Amino acid sequence: MKRTFTRRELLRLMMVGGGAAVLAACGGQSGQSTSQQTTAPAVVSQPGSKVKITYWGSFSGNLGEAEQAMVKAFNESQNEVEVEYQFQGNYEETAQKFTAALQANTTPDVILLSDVWWFGFYLAGAITALDDLARQVNLDFNDYEPVLLNEGVRKGVHYWIPFARSTPLFYYNKSIWAEAGLPDRAPETWAEFSEWAPKLVKSDGSRAAFGHPNGASYIAWLFQGVVWQFGGQYSLPDFTMTMTDPNTLRAAQFYQDTVLKEKWAVLSPNLNQDFIGGAIASMMASTGALAGIQANATFPVGVGFLPRETNFGCPTGGAGLAIVSRAPAEKQLAAMKYIAFATNPTSAGVWARSTGYMPVRISTKQTPEMIEFFKQNPNFKTAVDQLPKTRAQDAARVFVRNGDQIIGKGLERIIVNGEAPSSVFADVNNELTKAAQPILQDLKAVEG
Amino acid sequence: MATINELEQAIKPVVVRRRHIPLSLLGWRIAGYLTLIVAVLIIGLPVYWTVMASFKETREIYSLPVTWWPAKPTFNNFSAAWEAAPFGRYYLNSFITTFFGAGIEVILALFSAYALAYLRFPRKDLVFLLLLAALMVPTEITIVPNYLTVARLGWINTYQGIIIPGAAIAYGTFLLRQAFMAVPHEILEAAHVDGAGHLRILFSVVAPITQPAIVTMALLSIVSKWNEFLWPLIVTNTTDMRTLPIGVFWLRNSEGLTNWGVVMAGSLFLIIPVLITFLFAQRAIVEGMTAGAVKG
Amino acid sequence: MATYTPRQERHPNTLRREHRESLLFALFIGPNLLLFAVFTYWPLLYNIYLSMVRWDFLRPTMTFVGLQNYIDAFSDRRFWNIIWQTATFTICSVGLTLILGLLLALLLNQPLRYRNTARAIVFSPVVMSGAVIAVVWSYIFDPRYGLIDQLLGFIGLDSPNWLADPFWAMPAVIIVYVWKNLGYAVVIYLAGLQNIPRELYDAARVDGAGTWERFWNVTLPGLSPVAFFLSVTSVLTCFQAFDIIRVLTNGGPADATTTLIFHLYELGFVSYDAGKAGVVAIVLFLIMLFLTIVQIRYIERQVTYG
Repeated sequence: MKRTFTRRELLRLMMVGGGAAVLAACGGQSGQSTSQQTTAPAVVSQPGSKVKITYWGSFSGNLGEAEQAMVKAFNESQNEVEVEYQFQGNYEETAQKFTAALQANTTPDVILLSDVWWFGFYLAGAITALDDLARQVNLDFNDYEPVLLNEGVRKGVHYWIPFARSTPLFYYNKSIWAEAGLPDRAPETWAEFSEWAPKLVKSDGSRAAFGHPNGASYIAWLFQGVVWQFGGQYSLPDFTMTMTDPNTLRAAQFYQDTVLKEKWAVLSPNLNQDFIGGAIASMMASTGALAGIQANATFPVGVGFLPRETNFGCPTGGAGLAIVSRAPAEKQLAAMKYIAFATNPTSAGVWARSTGYMPVRISTKQTPEMIEFFKQNPNFKTAVDQLPKTRAQDAARVFVRNGDQIIGKGLERIIVNGEAPSSVFADVNNELTKAAQPILQDLKAVEG
Repeated sequence: MATINELEQAIKPVVVRRRHIPLSLLGWRIAGYLTLIVAVLIIGLPVYWTVMASFKETREIYSLPVTWWPAKPTFNNFSAAWEAAPFGRYYLNSFITTFFGAGIEVILALFSAYALAYLRFPRKDLVFLLLLAALMVPTEITIVPNYLTVARLGWINTYQGIIIPGAAIAYGTFLLRQAFMAVPHEILEAAHVDGAGHLRILFSVVAPITQPAIVTMALLSIVSKWNEFLWPLIVTNTTDMRTLPIGVFWLRNSEGLTNWGVVMAGSLFLIIPVLITFLFAQRAIVEGMTAGAVKG
Repeated sequence: MATYTPRQERHPNTLRREHRESLLFALFIGPNLLLFAVFTYWPLLYNIYLSMVRWDFLRPTMTFVGLQNYIDAFSDRRFWNIIWQTATFTICSVGLTLILGLLLALLLNQPLRYRNTARAIVFSPVVMSGAVIAVVWSYIFDPRYGLIDQLLGFIGLDSPNWLADPFWAMPAVIIVYVWKNLGYAVVIYLAGLQNIPRELYDAARVDGAGTWERFWNVTLPGLSPVAFFLSVTSVLTCFQAFDIIRVLTNGGPADATTTLIFHLYELGFVSYDAGKAGVVAIVLFLIMLFLTIVQIRYIERQVTYG
């Protein structure tokens, strides 16, 4: 073979390679039904021995410790199931790992998926219907907070059980508030806050009144509430994108003005750090950050409902638990037992108190520990009180793959680059519409 | 492509000879020292800053004015970082993957370089180009296909899964080849006359002569394996298989406040072993990196 | 393609011996090439295929779309913007590394005391992990508590908000990148400097050339092969610089530090768009291939006519 590696041959080689790739890809998927090389057969355990299941989660630090403690409590509470908790990085990284694992047939049995990820895996058939399993472990869906539970329901079937669910809160630094002579509460409306803000800013630029997160820190989640407050929305339930709705644009213009025109807000990659360090006087952030912020702040932390504009608007968020479709039946049942434990009224209380996430069970709020905890932590009570006023997010962010980052990037362009909201959101609208196409196809195939 | 030889010319081994061009003027000399100090400060300050921060309390890090020396030096950050994740296990894993990863690379490079330098082959230029092309394929584009391959081999979350996909070596092969080519012809001829086979020539003649270059190549390989981040992150699932860089990265990743003191302490876990290795081997690395120098 | 000439051509060889040697050659280099075939070339080919399908890594089937992904990519303003940013990043990083590295190498080539220590310090960032360096620098760039703010404070300046400001984020990434890789250039230059025959300097001195002229007429031409080698390797590593960007800025703010390699990662692992990621992978590879060929040609010309 002398110098005969012609273009045609190369092309042929590529085609062979491509063909093999298709085979490989299909092989990866067909493993789902036929061969379970890497996962165990349907019945794995000898009678009397424990069923071992793998649980992939996204919490490190304080939250990780709380999650580990939950797993430990479960393992010690019974002797049928043993859960192994494996930290996989943040929500995005966990979803990455799960996607890769689906291709390679190396999936866990139970997995924590965030609000923007579970739906994609549901469409791909990667997570399983939970109703039968729930019946087998006598799980009562009626005691779950409906606003949280119903998000994980498709066509009357449960797929995603609320666990580490949160809502945004308005956080403020009480010391700075007092210094500026403001009433000790969160602003009622954005108009009110716009009047307050100049008093909170330090003229040398070392302190802003308010901080926005960046795209990677889910600005599109916090902006979801603001868009509703301004009477707009990201999209309609039928996946029609409405990013160029005048009210949506008005909200975006408001965001841009806070930073570029009024100059009392900044966009920061480390929002919590800036808040704790006093570089910003207030912010909107997840209830899940409450425990960490209160533990680290050197000043009294105040929280309140999100400000209103024409409406009140506040989305839910955070993550829930799902069971992997291709796990063997025995492991799925074991996984359901863990989910039932982790979200039972007592555990939900323990988890909520140690993290700041919402108690996902209605009856948790009536437990003596919780009542006592509310008394000691009125901030946390605020978060729980806001819950009934929240609603599920627009499809554009949570059902369109990568929708969160598409909107987030657009907001960065508006706030950081100072581009006109109308032109940026027109781009975003196109991109979202494009990204929604395959979702709509899949949705039709799955739900009819 | 009449270029391979020219490329060789360009990356030809250099003969290290000490030579100074004396600065005649005192003023020049002072300016030289000043520039040197500035340069060393610029390069060294970030490391100094890291070390200092690792001994500071969180409160001190987040208070103004910033201090250049810890007010109350504390070792707490180190213990906190150590406890935040099973760093003992991470060390073990990093040692294992680095040792075997670099070991395989060195062996492959020795044989490949010997073949390229001394053995005849009809289409050697093609082999050369294939290796050159490998330098131009970033690991990021290989990750998805390699994940699938490794999964099919059943190697997800195993040492071989971390090590094998990155074990082939192009840069080191070129480096050693340059060194091998500089071995005086007479020595090889003498070995041939003595009836030595290629394996013996490689290990008892060529390797000892080019030892500095091999040490350099080995050290560069060790450093790159030690610091490898994205692939081990993707291919491991459980805490007991993860390596140090992942552990350090996740120290910063927790929600809420970044505890810089702890993160800096964790960074030192990763940096210090490699810096110590480097200090001991600095001469070898620096001189060998100039492509297998032989004292002329 | 001209043939490559091995040094041992002068040996008289029988045909059999030649065959045996070929076999040995294959045996010696085979394992290395085999690993490359499985874990490097195959993924490259696989990417060529992926670049012609639409696939989200989840669906059971890929849809073949021909060159549509390429058309989409090339008609996307964002893609060209990213190419432009990659060029900016590469040119600035390589340029600064080459120039600062040369100055520092010239300095370290002087008979100064402690220069070995200085050389060791300058080289040390090369051996540190890119991911960890980025973590460390994200603290150094902190506009309130960071080192740079302190240093700027000495001369009465305020630190920009490096990583949140679209103007300053790219300079920040370049600073870190140059900081990490400068030592490598210095060491290679030093080797090159020591390789310039002393006789050339002596001759120049005899001709009455001053320091500046000697530098211009002897040192620089003598260094040019080394500089070309450096520019080839630096450009290649720049195109593959991922860890620092991933950890320091994550491509932001508002795409300001998104380079091709980061875009590739983003498409593959954030947007799960296998087809577009494949396009970027191929484009990236072709650009690197092109640049390498151009540089090799340039070297060729230099060596022939220079």
